[in-house]
Amino acid sequence: MLNRFEKSYCLALLNLKKKDYRSALENFNLAAGTFQKDKEFNLIWKSTELLIEVKKKLAETDNEMIEIEEVL
Amino acid sequence: MSEYLQLKSLEGLIESFLQKVVNLKQDRLSVLDGVNRLDDIARLNDDGSEVTDEIGNWFAEHNNWLNENVLSGGELGRVGKMLSEIKSGFQVGDQCSPADKKIINEIERWTKFAGVTHKSRKFVLKRGPEEQIENGNSDTISKFGEYLDRVADIYKDLSGNSKHIMSVLDSSLKSALLQKNKEALILSAYIIYYLKQNGYLTGAYVKRLKKAEEIISKQEKSNA
Repeated sequence: MLNRFEKSYCLALLNLKKKDYRSALENFNLAAGTFQKDKEFNLIWKSTELLIEVKKKLAETDNEMIEIEEVL
Repeated sequence: MSEYLQLKSLEGLIESFLQKVVNLKQDRLSVLDGVNRLDDIARLNDDGSEVTDEIGNWFAEHNNWLNENVLSGGELGRVGKMLSEIKSGFQVGDQCSPADKKIINEIERWTKFAGVTHKSRKFVLKRGPEEQIENGNSDTISKFGEYLDRVADIYKDLSGNSKHIMSVLDSSLKSALLQKNKEALILSAYIIYYLKQNGYLTGAYVKRLKKAEEIISKQEKSNA
């Protein structure tokens, strides 16, 4: 059978395919125990992590823009 | 460019990169999905659950794997072993239902193809290490991964003090042209394609890219 790390990596890639980046990151984090020395894994994992951070920042910026519009 | 637009641009860049990764792995993802589902069925079977319908559906969906030689040797062996484990949960003999018999026959067809024989449950305990999923393609995959790493490093260096992706592209093209840096050439092409997809005019950059490509190509020929 697949071990839990392989299963998580596999699920993370399938999450990416569905553009479900949050679930992908959760599964990459779970898979990191075994794959963190794998360069390809790290590139995809960290890119997903960065994307989530960018999306968070964008959400904050969106809120700020709405507040500015309301003040104006 | 406002912070918002910069973030939107970065979001698009990373999403595009991740989707390209997924596209690159499309064929393997389909196999991984199937292997993962079979693994789930094997676990259910281990728990004593009824899996006849699940495994029947799995066979119906993945029948082409045998006919079209979709699986690598390692994957085929692994699937065969999972099927062997699943088979060990089925009753044999007179008590076996027609549906179960059909499943057992199909499992035997697959395991025979995979070169797995199952004389007893002991075989399941003797299975090889999990790392056997690795296949012959891992070398090219890791090489490409390392290449992407280097290109990403260049992007990180060039984008550090830049305020627009065009500035990064300009620096990347200069590096390709003056230092004859092939990774910078690839990065430039990647950025140009990204910009083109997002409606930017890229004609002038394409000309510079071609010039850099020509120079690097000439140098490689003279070094050969």
